[in-house]
Amino acid sequence: MSKVMTLKDAVASFVHPGDFLFIGGYVCRTPFAAIHEIIRQNIGELTIVRSNAADDFDMLIGAGLVKRFISTFLSLGIYGLGRCYRRSLEKGIPHKIEVEEYTNLSLPMMLQAGAMGMPFVPVRDMLGTDLLNVKSFMGDNKYKIIDSPFDGKPTLLVPALNPDVAIIHVQQADAEGNAQIWGIGGDCQAGANAARKVIVTCERIVDREVIGQDPSRTIVPSFKTVAVVEEPFGAHPGYTPGFYDVDFAMGYLYQQASNTEDGLAAFLKEWVYDIEDRADYLHHYIERFGYKSFRNLAAAYDYSYPVSYAY
Amino acid sequence: MSTEKADYSKPELMACCGAREIEDGDVVIVGTGFPAMAANIAKHIQAPHAVLMQESGVIDARPKRPALSVGDPCLNPGAAMIGGLVEIMGMVLQAGLVDVGFLSGSQVDRFGNINTTVIGDYDHPRSRLPGSGGANPIGSLARKTLIIALHDKRRLADKVDFVTTPGYLSGAGDRERWGFPENSGPAAIITNKAILRFDDETKEAFLDAYHPDCTVEEIVANTPWELKISPTVHPTPPPTQDELRVIREVLDPHGMISVYEKKGYV
Repeated sequence: MSKVMTLKDAVASFVHPGDFLFIGGYVCRTPFAAIHEIIRQNIGELTIVRSNAADDFDMLIGAGLVKRFISTFLSLGIYGLGRCYRRSLEKGIPHKIEVEEYTNLSLPMMLQAGAMGMPFVPVRDMLGTDLLNVKSFMGDNKYKIIDSPFDGKPTLLVPALNPDVAIIHVQQADAEGNAQIWGIGGDCQAGANAARKVIVTCERIVDREVIGQDPSRTIVPSFKTVAVVEEPFGAHPGYTPGFYDVDFAMGYLYQQASNTEDGLAAFLKEWVYDIEDRADYLHHYIERFGYKSFRNLAAAYDYSYPVSYAY
Repeated sequence: MSTEKADYSKPELMACCGAREIEDGDVVIVGTGFPAMAANIAKHIQAPHAVLMQESGVIDARPKRPALSVGDPCLNPGAAMIGGLVEIMGMVLQAGLVDVGFLSGSQVDRFGNINTTVIGDYDHPRSRLPGSGGANPIGSLARKTLIIALHDKRRLADKVDFVTTPGYLSGAGDRERWGFPENSGPAAIITNKAILRFDDETKEAFLDAYHPDCTVEEIVANTPWELKISPTVHPTPPPTQDELRVIREVLDPHGMISVYEKKGYV
């Protein structure tokens, strides 16, 4: 059964106010088209999670749609600190979000545990530090320390996470939702499979036969996927390996804009609220920066040696 | 203190200081900037068999431009293996296979504890910082960590506002109490003025070497705790011609490392 639909329909059907969302990406394959659509549909009171969050999370926070954030980190990388994130926590603008803090070891493991149906998972970080002294909305369920039943040593346990919905951007998927990636993974596979439903946006929809020619690349099987959306340049201004590079100019533009509340409002109006969909976004980008800038983002061709699964 | 103008920049010297801490065959977790530069210098000089990895999921990347983030697209083509956080942070780091991790922080204290979470009170932050990311697990689990910091009384602290990443916590014996890997912990704090190392007995950072354009007095005056001085304190050896050649001709022909001078690493 084909699950192909527009992003507008996918978000309207499967993302609801108050949902717990995993949003994939690590500069690599950030699902920015979907982030913009959530902001356009003004779906709020969200709990959001990912290891190493960046500009997309900052934007959702700035747009006032985030209630809670299960976090390891939020920064705009080379552009600087996340200004919306800071305004929220330092000044309560537009409101103070609740943050539960883990690390880039414990959080991916919590998602992995969720994906595997485990109730919790032992991890070997955070001990002895103030990360154990701050608890937010998860309260005493942020972690437990027990004496290991095997060797008696103090052992840190953290709970499994099962988001309501995962939104990921991938290179290619078939119409039923078998989703394939290559390149840096971040916590995308763990996070997607931990969620009950997965919305897949992709650079291209391919036949099931194409998926079958290199099935080791599939990170989400079709039965987990509820929507497949073909959204070329869907990760811009992040990148998708083999398709396009990071757009540093656009990343910087967001950083500059988000320095102030007015700047953020103007940015969101220009690039999100006054934009119909991703195609419209690309038209606006080309209008604003020229076709040459757009083309310059395109990745070079450098295909790998074909693999054979034959027997 | 030398009166001649050095033929290298401070960030170049600091990158070389980091590089010299890496031994051949080490498994190294790097980020971007200094750490990546340092680890790559080592690979070209004394540690050709060191294996570098980024927490985002990349092992033995062969980037053709300096990576600007640990998720940078240039890390993908040519790598030996690409997975994700579960592979690098779980299967490699937590499994105990990482020899060296590089860390930096807005605040570093005399026991090598690092704060990247908050300046001021946690619930009412004066300045909210990004958070742990991969730093806490690297500081907890790598055999040794190298800390990069700016040397002034704001960046170095007697006690950090928030311990995001463990150094030696409250001092000798604390890491063992929490069950961290044996003999693990910070090996050095590399600053823009000096190299500090940690006393075997007390685990407090002391002055081991001062950079050629700095004096011991200046360093002591810019350190917020009563800095002990090694009896063998000595000037940091300047970058060798070979190290400079690797930096300028191989790793960073466009001189991107100079951005650190704008950030105050001079």
